[in-house]
Amino acid sequence: MSEVVLKMQGIIKDFPGVRALNNVNFEARSGELLALMGENGAGKSTLMKVLSGVWPYPTYEGDIYLRGERVRFANTKEAEAAGIGIIYQELNLIPGLSVAENIFLDRQFTDAKGRINWNQTFAETQKLLTELGINDIRPTDLVQNITVGKQQMVEIAKALSLKAEILVLDEPTSALTDKEVKDLFRIIRKLKADGVCMCYISHKMEEIEQIADRIAVLRDGQTIGEVTPIADITLDQIIARMVGRDIKDMFPKVDFTPGEVTLEVNDLSVTNPDMPGSYLVKNASFVARKGEILGISGLMGAGRTELVGGVFGAYPDQTTGEVKLNGQKLEIKSPKDAIEAGIALLTEDRKALGLFLDKSISFNTTISSLETISSKVLGIINTQQERKVVKEYVDQLGVKTPSIDTVIGTLSGGNQQKVILGKWLNSKPDVFILDEPTRGIDIGAKVEIYKLLNELVQQGVTVIMISSELPEVLGMCDRILVMCEGEIVSNFERDDAKKEAIMAYATGSA
Amino acid sequence: MSADSNVAGVGVNGAKENHLINFIKDNATLIALIVLVIGLSFADDAFFTARNLSNLSRQVTIIGIIAVGMTMVILIAGIDLSVGSVVGLSAVVCTLMMQYGVPTVLAVPATLLVVGVGIGAWNGFWIAKFNIPPFIITLGMLTIARGLALTLTNGSSVPVTSDVFPLIGGAYIPPMMSSIVLIVCAALAVYSIFRDVQQSRAHGVEVNMQELLVNGAVMIGGFALAFHVFTSYKGIPVPVAIFAVIAFAGIYTLNSTRFGRRLYALGGNEDAARLSGINVVRTKMIVYTVISVLSALAGIILASRLNGASPNLGTMFELDAIAAVVIGGTSLAGGSGRVSGTIIGALLIGVLNNGMSLLGVVTFYQLIIKGLIIILAVWFDVMQKKK
Repeated sequence: MSEVVLKMQGIIKDFPGVRALNNVNFEARSGELLALMGENGAGKSTLMKVLSGVWPYPTYEGDIYLRGERVRFANTKEAEAAGIGIIYQELNLIPGLSVAENIFLDRQFTDAKGRINWNQTFAETQKLLTELGINDIRPTDLVQNITVGKQQMVEIAKALSLKAEILVLDEPTSALTDKEVKDLFRIIRKLKADGVCMCYISHKMEEIEQIADRIAVLRDGQTIGEVTPIADITLDQIIARMVGRDIKDMFPKVDFTPGEVTLEVNDLSVTNPDMPGSYLVKNASFVARKGEILGISGLMGAGRTELVGGVFGAYPDQTTGEVKLNGQKLEIKSPKDAIEAGIALLTEDRKALGLFLDKSISFNTTISSLETISSKVLGIINTQQERKVVKEYVDQLGVKTPSIDTVIGTLSGGNQQKVILGKWLNSKPDVFILDEPTRGIDIGAKVEIYKLLNELVQQGVTVIMISSELPEVLGMCDRILVMCEGEIVSNFERDDAKKEAIMAYATGSA
Repeated sequence: MSADSNVAGVGVNGAKENHLINFIKDNATLIALIVLVIGLSFADDAFFTARNLSNLSRQVTIIGIIAVGMTMVILIAGIDLSVGSVVGLSAVVCTLMMQYGVPTVLAVPATLLVVGVGIGAWNGFWIAKFNIPPFIITLGMLTIARGLALTLTNGSSVPVTSDVFPLIGGAYIPPMMSSIVLIVCAALAVYSIFRDVQQSRAHGVEVNMQELLVNGAVMIGGFALAFHVFTSYKGIPVPVAIFAVIAFAGIYTLNSTRFGRRLYALGGNEDAARLSGINVVRTKMIVYTVISVLSALAGIILASRLNGASPNLGTMFELDAIAAVVIGGTSLAGGSGRVSGTIIGALLIGVLNNGMSLLGVVTFYQLIIKGLIIILAVWFDVMQKKK
């Protein structure tokens, strides 16, 4: 059995009013991949920040041991020097600099006079990349010109150049295509063979099954159960540990007979503003029916977000085509027009496109339907009515919050998403489009969202859901459109939809 | 055991200290203003007299009116550098019209429309429709409007011959009337606070007692001071009354209307605002129009007070207006801020100017001190955000 490299014992970390970590215990060995699993808000990221010196000793309690020796980092530099490398969800590269400059940022090879030896810097970078078996990135490539997946490889190369013995990967695949995930896993396997100890934070069960050696589960800031080898535990058991209960039915799909066509999209195209003459969405036509959940599947960058954005009037200058709602042709020149026509769009990027982070739950809930809580003439807001409406949605959706005046940025991802759902429900849409509605939120909240979709469908709302998670699409949708390179390439009925077939169309190999 | 109680003791003390520090942080500008007023009262007998304070309030109105508009502009993460030149142009246009025989009652609204709405809509059009940075558009307008004022007057001053026009900036509401107005306003203010508290309680929302007490104390103190000053010296100056109405309208708009909400949304996250169905172009155009109209109004009041207009009126006013907003705690990044803060900021700058002049501080030094205070205020704001 290999050596224990990292041991965290009795870690407790308090924030004002919350105990984020409450007695965390685990150990990781060299040459293994330890999966750290847990719902959002379980404390995974805080734990990694303690490990990496972002929260220095003594802002936490408990002990960290590296190869049996107790360490107490005062800052991230010390942790780095001790061989801890962390790849965060949001990459920390400088887009305008080359791969080599990023890897050797502030550590470039210099001569005696302090001038940078670029040849050596590039050569060392090449050596690192070659060692990792990465042959499609050049040291001179600008980071902004390579894909997110490759940027991640650069981060890994950088961590290794810092002689990292413990590599922490925080949801590394959340923005990767399937091929990139495969490449990443190949590198992870190689690093395992080289004896690197890896802590891998992820929600995705499939990935964990593929590459993890052992699993530690965090819930409410505590490690639940022992660190368990992957072979000795079932997916259901993992989920049970994560949520503290068995989830009998992950996808509570209710069958319902779809009604007449509500939304009809004909020949919708969205041009690419960065590349004149090319299209993000090309001649897409589809219909959606009353009382059905229409899924849109495809790889990242297939044009799904742009398709629904085009319908919603998000890029009026780039969009052509026809949108009909209940047989009526719509002139949508802005999201405002779309909302007024009865279309709602829950965006994929919550932080950048959905939330007003430093504003209250109340503010976020009513912002897209202020007309309903204010006077016609001067637009004077009826605070009483606003409170009542917001309170209703908070209760209905089970948003966990001390008050409706709480700043939304302080809530967990799942609760933020529920507030945004409330905001769009409050606009009383006929067609509700949801772009990756369950991304980055915990399993409990996911199931609640699925149940809500069922309710909406029963009320006669047309639901369109984009999702990159195939089990979700297969589990919840009545019909599935598959997009590939800006075009709708296939349309599956629920009963005919098979994972392999969808993937084949999505990757363009069908 | 004793060690435990020690720890607990430290905790309580620490909490108390935090409470005090937070209180000071939350109300820093207000505390600075009060300290400054008390200090100046001791330093110079002429400061805390009804006459001086009445004049001071009149001086503050010009920047104050512009700063109310500037709060909205900065709230949507914009900036308007042209306000000073708009002041000059509107003063010149209004007085010139009267020189050509247009009666005051027509010249004033015409100026607000032509100069205020005209320039504001122009600025807003380029900024909102074509996404050109407001800094550039309004910087251009700063020069254009000043150039227009100089061209129209050929560089010389325009005298005022009307009997009515000087009243806008110079008249007073008689003391008797003033006291009635002040008492009614105070009663309304107290009533509205009570109603708010009751409504919050009814909805189970916790009332922030500290904030309530501070607001109450400031309001009562403010009304008492205003009552003392205005009843013992001539009454409420008309421009102060105009400013009060505009400030109230500004506070009310931002707190309680759809439009106000949209400004916070727009400044907080423009993309999310657009995708939430907010008409970004229209909202921006309105904001830039509002500030231009307010600047034009300030120009008219100024010309009235001075009984004439020079094309150089309002030079550098943009800086004082921006300073008042920033000192008042509105974030230059947009999305957060309040008109009440801006009013305190404008008062602080006004008191500072007045006090330094009374104490005989050389104008050159005044500039330096003002600049340092602006830097201090922003530094304070940034430090606070960091925690």
